[in-house]
Amino acid sequence: MTTKPYVNPQLAPTNRPPRPVNKKMRLKESGGLASGFMLAPSIIFLAICSVYPFIWIFRYVTFNYDGIPAHTRFTGMRNITTMLADTKFWSSVGTTFEYALWKLIFIIPLALIMAVLLNQKLRGSSFFRGVFFMPTVISSSISGMIFTFIFATGNGILNGILQKLGFIGQPVGWLTDTSVVMAAVIIMSVWAGFGNYMLYFVTGMTSISEDVYESSRIDGANGVQTFFKITLPMLAPVLKVVLMLAITGAFKDYEAIMVLTNGGPGTRTNVMFLYIYNLIFGTGANATRQIGYGALLSLVAAVIVGAVTIVYNIVAQKLDEVV
Amino acid sequence: MKKRISLVLAMMMLALCVFAAVPAMAEKTVITYWSNDRHDETYMNEVIAKFNAEHEDIEINMVIMTDDFENSILLAIDGGTAPDIVGQSVTLKNMVDYDAVVDLAPYIAADEEYQKVNDPYNHKYEGLNAIGDAIYWVPSGQRSGVRIEYNKALLEASGFEGIPSTLPEYIEMAKKITEDGKANDPVTYGIGFTSSSPFERQLEMMAQVSGVFYYDYANGKFDFTGYKPFLEAGRELVAVAYPDQQGVDNMRAQFAAGSFALWGNASQEAGVFTNQFPVEGFEWGVSPVPSLDGEIKGALQVNPNKGYLMLNACQNKDAAWEVIRYLQSEEVLVGYMEGGFDLPITSYIDERIDKSKMGRMADFSLLPYESVYPAVPTINLMGDDYRTVLWNAIMGHVEIDEAIEDLNTRYNAAYDEDVSLGFIKRLVIEDYDALHPSAGTVTWLDK
Repeated sequence: MTTKPYVNPQLAPTNRPPRPVNKKMRLKESGGLASGFMLAPSIIFLAICSVYPFIWIFRYVTFNYDGIPAHTRFTGMRNITTMLADTKFWSSVGTTFEYALWKLIFIIPLALIMAVLLNQKLRGSSFFRGVFFMPTVISSSISGMIFTFIFATGNGILNGILQKLGFIGQPVGWLTDTSVVMAAVIIMSVWAGFGNYMLYFVTGMTSISEDVYESSRIDGANGVQTFFKITLPMLAPVLKVVLMLAITGAFKDYEAIMVLTNGGPGTRTNVMFLYIYNLIFGTGANATRQIGYGALLSLVAAVIVGAVTIVYNIVAQKLDEVV
Repeated sequence: MKKRISLVLAMMMLALCVFAAVPAMAEKTVITYWSNDRHDETYMNEVIAKFNAEHEDIEINMVIMTDDFENSILLAIDGGTAPDIVGQSVTLKNMVDYDAVVDLAPYIAADEEYQKVNDPYNHKYEGLNAIGDAIYWVPSGQRSGVRIEYNKALLEASGFEGIPSTLPEYIEMAKKITEDGKANDPVTYGIGFTSSSPFERQLEMMAQVSGVFYYDYANGKFDFTGYKPFLEAGRELVAVAYPDQQGVDNMRAQFAAGSFALWGNASQEAGVFTNQFPVEGFEWGVSPVPSLDGEIKGALQVNPNKGYLMLNACQNKDAAWEVIRYLQSEEVLVGYMEGGFDLPITSYIDERIDKSKMGRMADFSLLPYESVYPAVPTINLMGDDYRTVLWNAIMGHVEIDEAIEDLNTRYNAAYDEDVSLGFIKRLVIEDYDALHPSAGTVTWLDK
């Protein structure tokens, strides 16, 4: 016996010609209109707050502009040739890479270690989690101010402690000696930032099933093995995000450095965005606001940060393939 | 019940009417004044409170903005939140080019009382408070040139009675005090520098009285060559100085605590070391800055100050002028000078103040060789300003000759370009006399 497959009469093909559908109706039926309305506020906001300022920056790249329209003048390629010969800018780029590298070397392992320790079911771990996170909510300029007192040479807290403990005989010029000032800046930035990354790691760890740990314990894995064979691999997605945030964050840091050293002594801690900030606002050592030139450097800095991020993404993808 | 509800409703209506009427009755024209002076805040609040109590139609709202003053003003103008009056710590040319400020000359011309108290036509400084016939602010007082404030106890302990008149002797004194201070607990030093414009606070002024200035008025160009011996001297001083160069208030606190002996700053320190960081435990003296060889070859720069600019954005200009004339009235200025906040600039006020009430401000009275310098043209300079570059040379971050060459090149290139584009004119005073910088004949050239 052959059976005829059931066909829903409502869905069965008919000989009737298809109903003409105009664009308006299609849009209405697909819900495009509603989506458009709902997206409109965000798009408008994005256009005003992100796209327009970006275009605005482009506008002044070839101008000498100090914020006063009467002083504006077209300078053609001069900003670009100035940039190519601007040793102070390129030195600030180098300083930024140095700062970012040292910061990442210390902040990520520290945040991870603290997260692992605080993820243990120990008494007071919530309290310490709060304590370590606290610097993150303090404004960068306040952090800079606090560390000015800590790192002061003559009456600084750190030198006082180190001298009392007998580690140093003479006070160290944390903020005045070019050989140690970068260490001071790194200490401050690690203190101010690691709590945030630690929290990401703690959140990532809580999502790892307890069953996995229990199985590893049954198999006789010790703490180190558990960390490297279970915790770390399972944290990989979080680690990737944290690394990405840490890299972009380190390259963009400048506020606390501005308060702590203002790029000095000399230009030893003059990071890229601090140099650009001072150019645009005519602050620091700059006699006049250089908005046009600063706009060009902002674009170059964005390209540098973007390039670093792309390189990181490629490396991360390759690592994924290997692992 | 209905009666009660009606009564409650009636009372509510009455209350609403009263509340609605109150603001209408108390409506005043509010004149917002942005100041960047913090040292006189208490006194200014007092005189403003008095004004507000006595005037039913105008209220002054003073806001103190000490950081990034000029940028904040320009941003406020752009954002439609500009104040009506601002303090004079701005670059006049920028404000005028931005069409941000009102020419006060017509108001001044019509106000005899204001003229009598403030003597505006004798305190008209081209490029500083006036451009051509337009007057944008009138100084109420002046800040003295830089002095050396010193710790008498530390000087005496090292066998010194006062500040020497030559720079080499001054360096030797700083060295000796630092050397002797090593035996103290805590260690004390000969001299201290701040991170905030350190070159300006001592060495630049020693150069001034030695006849060295960064603008060559006679030839109409910038010239930093003369600073070389002062940069070399600076290196010697820094080597024996207090090890940190912190913000100015931190260093003032260190001086007041007796951490070092020599500190350089102008007359504002009279109030600072009396009220803000009162010096206790030792006596402090005030002395003129030394020159290179002991001879005074140039004037020490004084700065006319405490002036008020009216912004074009002001909607109630007559009321704003009323506020300015009050703040520069005899009543306010006499109290201001007697309070030791500033030095008088007009003989009218000078004759009316009780100098015994000025406290340590009397120690900063003007020296015979102090003078206002003609305003150096505002140029569109790319890169670091001269004070930063010269201090970097002192700190050894750049070679001295290299720094001087860099400044001569950049400053003059920017100046030449601005002049050639017609943004500014070249200032030349052919008969310029370094001891009387304002006395020469000013010429403005197009090239």
